Amino acid sequence: MAEHKEEWGSRLGVILAVAGSAVGLGNFLRFPGQAAANGGGAFLIPYFCALFLLGIPIGWAEWTMGRYGGKKGLHGAPMVMGAVGKGSLARYLGVLGVLIPLGVSTYYVFIETWTFAYFLKYLTGGIGIVQGTPITEQTAAAGQFYTSITGAGADGSLFTGGSRYTVLSWVVVFAINIFFVFRGLSKGIEKFVSFAMPVMAVCALIVLARVLTLGTPNPQIPEQNVINGLGYMWNPDFAALSNFKTWLAAAGQIFFSLSVGFGVIINYASYMKKEDDVALSGLTASATNELFEVGFGGMITLTAAFVFLGVSGTAGAVATGSFGLGFNTLPVVFAQMGAFENIIGAVWFFMLWLAAITSSLSMYAPAVAHLKEATGWTHLKSTATIAMIGTIGAILTLWFTEGGAFWSTVDFWVGTYLIFLLAMVQIIYFLPIAPAYLIIVFVGFTIQSLAEEITKSWVTIGARVGILTILAIVVYLVVVTAVGERRLRASGLDIDDNHPAD
Amino acid sequence: MTTLGWIFMTASLVLVWGGTFWCYKRILSTPQEEKAVSGFGP
Repeated sequence: MAEHKEEWGSRLGVILAVAGSAVGLGNFLRFPGQAAANGGGAFLIPYFCALFLLGIPIGWAEWTMGRYGGKKGLHGAPMVMGAVGKGSLARYLGVLGVLIPLGVSTYYVFIETWTFAYFLKYLTGGIGIVQGTPITEQTAAAGQFYTSITGAGADGSLFTGGSRYTVLSWVVVFAINIFFVFRGLSKGIEKFVSFAMPVMAVCALIVLARVLTLGTPNPQIPEQNVINGLGYMWNPDFAALSNFKTWLAAAGQIFFSLSVGFGVIINYASYMKKEDDVALSGLTASATNELFEVGFGGMITLTAAFVFLGVSGTAGAVATGSFGLGFNTLPVVFAQMGAFENIIGAVWFFMLWLAAITSSLSMYAPAVAHLKEATGWTHLKSTATIAMIGTIGAILTLWFTEGGAFWSTVDFWVGTYLIFLLAMVQIIYFLPIAPAYLIIVFVGFTIQSLAEEITKSWVTIGARVGILTILAIVVYLVVVTAVGERRLRASGLDIDDNHPAD
Repeated sequence: MTTLGWIFMTASLVLVWGGTFWCYKRILSTPQEEKAVSGFGP
């Protein structure tokens, strides 16, 4: 039975889907930490430079490539890039556009599970922090809950005793993901993001309103107030601008945040209608992401932490990284909000869950599209295969949890390094503007972190399994692409773009 | 919060809120082509 041609139901649908893919935990947790650690308000100068010189142009290139491929009936990143790059080399480099989202999904859904688990706990009475006890005790309680949810203590701990709560939450979260991916673009992903994005904005507004009306909660410490909290985030330190790392951090934040160099936009844009405006669509999706990142993330997270924890407490929270800030520190902050603790906690983690699931949905879709296209399988069979790969990846992620070794290894190689690499490929091949900027960023990033990561990656069993998992997915995707290349060429499709479309 | 802090915060918020509103206004004010009903098209 021939399957109907997939297409977005509306122009807004694809914009919200791309924006949903871009808006994730990093908007609320990573951005404020990066800004505070790299010059505060001054960080916004390199940040907006990277947005306008790198993020938006590369995004436009991906939107354009995707729509071009779509016009020729191609949807997976390998086939689209093969058509645009007119040959097999570009096609096999395009495998990165499936590897990255699929590889990231193996651990991203795990982190998404944490947000869901926290949300359910807040909805049903909280995570075990006792109000009124000393902050150190509350921090210990938050840390204990975090360790039990993430299994950071030991490999395999999530499969024993009470910790099974995480595994059960994962089953629910993963099932929801696969359900909407299986429903397809317009009936599944578009319908979900059309609900999720406005709800996420409302949740963010509720939390923002609460944070901005905190005033001076402890009159005995008058300097810990909302205005000074905003100052902690926004007061500029121009000295940071002379440090190359600040510019690197800003470019990195834009990359991770906008989902450029990820392969998702190419796939999503390939289902656009011919008359849809690529430039305005790309700009609107980017603007939406910036609203959540700067407009909400930049106003909520550190301000709330500062009001209750002060300068040293907030600096300590930032130093623990995005997850420490979001899952360890903020629950302690919510505990200081009295009767609002569970409501704000539930709203906050529900918002994070929506941000995460709108991103994870976009990670499966490119892989399903590529599999359908390359093998000729049905949507059901392709979705089931990707679900199986996702399950294997998730089992590894759920088992090798000690110190987050497995997922942090996959995160570095796939979710960080390969994103830069794919963006480089796209720029060299398709967008010869400002390449020097990106090459400097890429080389700087490589020098800064690669040597250290290579040594670190072989230290634990979880990290080794992570590397082997990535290699296994690479081999699988290359084989699928080779099969697809032969099949589509034999079917007469112009996959090498010998007859350019309009 | 310093004066420069207020300036950076306000400018950034105006940029992201204003940019988002402008984009959505453009998107929503441009009429979308109606889908042709099957069997009634040319």
